Amino acid sequence: MHESQGNKAFTFSGDWREFAPIAFTNLLLSIVTLGVYLFWARTRERRYLWSRTHFIDDRLEWTGTGRELMIGYGLAMLIFVIPFGFINLVVLNSAMMRGHEGVAGLVGLGLYLAFFFLTGVAIFRALRYRLSRTLWHGIRGGSDSFGLAFGWSYLWKSVLGSFTLGLLVPWTMTTLWNERWGEMSFGPYRFEASARAAPIFLRFLLFYLAPVFFLIAVIALAVFGMVAGGMGSWRSLPSDGVTAAVMFAILAGFYLLFFVVLGVIALVFYSAYFREAVGALRLGDLEFAFTATTGDWIRLFAGNIALVVCTLGIGQIFVGYRNWTFFIRHMHAYGEIDLARLTQSTTRRPGQGEGLLDAFDIGAI
Amino acid sequence: MRVWHYDGLSALRREPELVADGDAFVLVERDRVEGPYRFADLVAGDAVDGAAIYGLKGSTGWRIGFPGGLPADLAALLPAPTHYGRLIDRIGLWPAAALCATLATIAVALFLMTPALVARAVPQSVERKLGDMMARDFGDRNCAGPNGPQALAALVARIDPGDRDVRVSVVNLPIVNAVTLPGGRIVLFDGLVKAAASPDEVAGVIAHELGHVRHRDVLESLLRQLGLSVLLGGLDGHVGGYTNALLASAYSRDAEARADGFAIDALAQAHISPLPTARFFKRLSAGEDSGGVGRLTAYLSTHPISQDRAARFIAAAKLHHNDRPVLDADQWGALRDICTSDPKARAPGFRF
Repeated sequence: MHESQGNKAFTFSGDWREFAPIAFTNLLLSIVTLGVYLFWARTRERRYLWSRTHFIDDRLEWTGTGRELMIGYGLAMLIFVIPFGFINLVVLNSAMMRGHEGVAGLVGLGLYLAFFFLTGVAIFRALRYRLSRTLWHGIRGGSDSFGLAFGWSYLWKSVLGSFTLGLLVPWTMTTLWNERWGEMSFGPYRFEASARAAPIFLRFLLFYLAPVFFLIAVIALAVFGMVAGGMGSWRSLPSDGVTAAVMFAILAGFYLLFFVVLGVIALVFYSAYFREAVGALRLGDLEFAFTATTGDWIRLFAGNIALVVCTLGIGQIFVGYRNWTFFIRHMHAYGEIDLARLTQSTTRRPGQGEGLLDAFDIGAI
Repeated sequence: MRVWHYDGLSALRREPELVADGDAFVLVERDRVEGPYRFADLVAGDAVDGAAIYGLKGSTGWRIGFPGGLPADLAALLPAPTHYGRLIDRIGLWPAAALCATLATIAVALFLMTPALVARAVPQSVERKLGDMMARDFGDRNCAGPNGPQALAALVARIDPGDRDVRVSVVNLPIVNAVTLPGGRIVLFDGLVKAAASPDEVAGVIAHELGHVRHRDVLESLLRQLGLSVLLGGLDGHVGGYTNALLASAYSRDAEARADGFAIDALAQAHISPLPTARFFKRLSAGEDSGGVGRLTAYLSTHPISQDRAARFIAAAKLHHNDRPVLDADQWGALRDICTSDPKARAPGFRF
């Protein structure tokens, strides 16, 4: 019996100086193998991060291998990227050239829908793979589902979301979270997730309406500028080159401001979503919580960008470390675990890594 | 000795005694005995805080840990942990990195050489058919004003005597450029003929294109473009496009330099001064053309002109003697008017 109230259930005891030799040798070997080593590099990184992460009284252990990741990647290439590339390049182009726009449109639509379906499957299977390779007290997690049902759900919710102009996004995000975690288990215990969209909808509206406000502001400024300019004499206008430079600077400024402001507002929403999602997660008698505020997320992203930019890209090798420590720092668990009842998972152990996810380049959790 | 142990079936942490017997051992905890297990079936995990941790082959979650590190008498019996991967551990990090770097260099070099090797394997007849196909696009723009083709043939014969496979034509388009198609077809655009101040300048340009023909650069670059676009098609559009352009232009710079070398040799053997060609390049790069900047950029975009290029031709002139013009005044006149005096050649300009 373990109580985790009072002191934090998740702690991280690693040190970036201890991690640096792993990161730099990973970089070296990935370069000289033209990227093939990346699968083993990722595995070594996770082995370190997991082994320095304590949950209550013991460390986590990562048991995945580089070979699994490579096989997963190869399979994803074989069943997805190559056929899709072929259809896209050859079938679509030849259909267009022969004037079968209708056929081309149908094939294009099919590709688009299949892409959503496979993205859903990929997200599900990556989570399943990671749980199945994570040991705590010698016990692993997993899922008995292959993720096909989740793929369909992801497909139709995405389509529905686009038909409702994106207003359903908080609902699709939380229900999909509940669906995929509801299929996951650790040991004999099934995860339960009951995240709701209502608590995060206001923040989503802020994100949703911000570009509209922005557009109105830009138009108002432009109109104001024109009126003000019209009052002055045309002769006093600076030469063409200067005007162009000023216009360019203003445009670039707006562009930057737009993405920075929108990015920050997106984090305002995302931080609330992640708190709601993790907070709604249960495993047996364990409850979880995530405490990162919008400010924490901004610091994480700003720090990552600064790290990469200031080191001319080399700092990228520490981004995974920073993300993991951020995640563990803000992760909490409350409740009890009965170790005697926590027996080995009976779920099927997937043979390959998160290949599809790599192909789509998206995160797992 | 005492170890900690997870049996992989439940999460309970046990602290049994490890009792070794030859190459096997059992785990004893009061009246509970697990095993026997073979030492050789253990799999080393990462050591954490000085504790040596081992798993068991084929058993998920089975672990034993030696809290104070591995005892010396067991060390020889137990497998070593993997650091970088089994293969790299066996060779050592630095030798493995050096080996991989060598292999990677060879792989990249082979990959980059593939188009050249494939181009060499394509039969001349196939290449000629490809060139004919491409040349058909210019078909009705080919110019044949009075005595023009003869003047052009005389010019080509001076530079490259005895080569019957090369076919040079002038096309009625106001572009200052010349292109080589597969199969030894060289197409001069009328804009270039008009922009040239003397026949020797045209000779220099044709000699350069002849270099491309001789080295089969065109087929090679077509194959390279094809291969790169297929290979890089998988990358994100911009990255693929930039990489493609960078690789292709790096190669075209090499090919350009080689074609210049060929041109310099050919001009020397034909006793044609390379100085007009150098002047032509300088004029182009300085933008001194009555036709405006737009026309000039055509040649510059496919034949990047640097000071070095003109300098190479100027330097080559020092070894020349007995140079004489490649065409006489009448022939040059015929060549200049090859399009304007040909009523059958379709009018200059573009059709959209």
